[in-house]
Amino acid sequence: MAAGIAAGAAARRWLDVVEVQGSSMAPALLPGDRIIVESRSYAQRAPRPGEVVLAVDPREPRRELIKRVAAVDAELGEVELLGDAPDESTDSREFGRVRVDAIRWRAALRYWPPARAGRL
Amino acid sequence: MLSLTTLLRPTRRVHAHCDVPCGIYDPEQARIEAESCYRIIEKYHASTDELFRQRCVVVKEARAEETKHHIDVMWHDYFKPEHLTQYPDLHDVCWKASKAASKVKQSTDLEAARELLGLIDQIDAMWQGTGGLAKTRVSGRPS
Repeated sequence: MAAGIAAGAAARRWLDVVEVQGSSMAPALLPGDRIIVESRSYAQRAPRPGEVVLAVDPREPRRELIKRVAAVDAELGEVELLGDAPDESTDSREFGRVRVDAIRWRAALRYWPPARAGRL
Repeated sequence: MLSLTTLLRPTRRVHAHCDVPCGIYDPEQARIEAESCYRIIEKYHASTDELFRQRCVVVKEARAEETKHHIDVMWHDYFKPEHLTQYPDLHDVCWKASKAASKVKQSTDLEAARELLGLIDQIDAMWQGTGGLAKTRVSGRPS
């Protein structure tokens, strides 16, 4: 039991599961979708354009956003984030680029709902 | 062992949303708070009751802070770069209105409160001129 919890806690540092709220990432991600996120990639490299990431909201640090990387400025260490559905998205167009260290998690896999399960 | 169900339960919600889905911006919010300041300052000067006068000051400071907040929301959130082309003095008016709200907060000067109302009316005119009224108010209400 204890070993199981320890293994689970250790795994959560690299893998975690989150639920999507809001529709700025439609149609790729819909509200209620459950996503496995991983933090190994960005421990080793910067995010790349096209990847879906979790980012600390620059305006409200306790909140995490899920958006797609539009551009990366490696020199300045800044990332531009956009929602897939621009009309329903608050993103870098409004709050500017975010620091690369505000992004730790990459959205890897949707496991719920099962009909749309798969890699992102 | 931790069950698969436990492991697959989301630990948190992540936001893919839009900040202001309603898009409601109305300078009347600022105007009402500023009117409140104006009347309270009048009552302050008309009264000799020290306790009442102190209460006037406390309430006025809170209302003035609210006024400032509503002015800032118009300035930062409602107005867009294209509105600035239409009204080149937009920043100046909003800035002066913010400053005037601070002055009303600090003083019991009725003239300052009147000036604040005038500046909010200028924001109102720019808001109407950029279609804010049509976008914001549900029809059926006189403007």
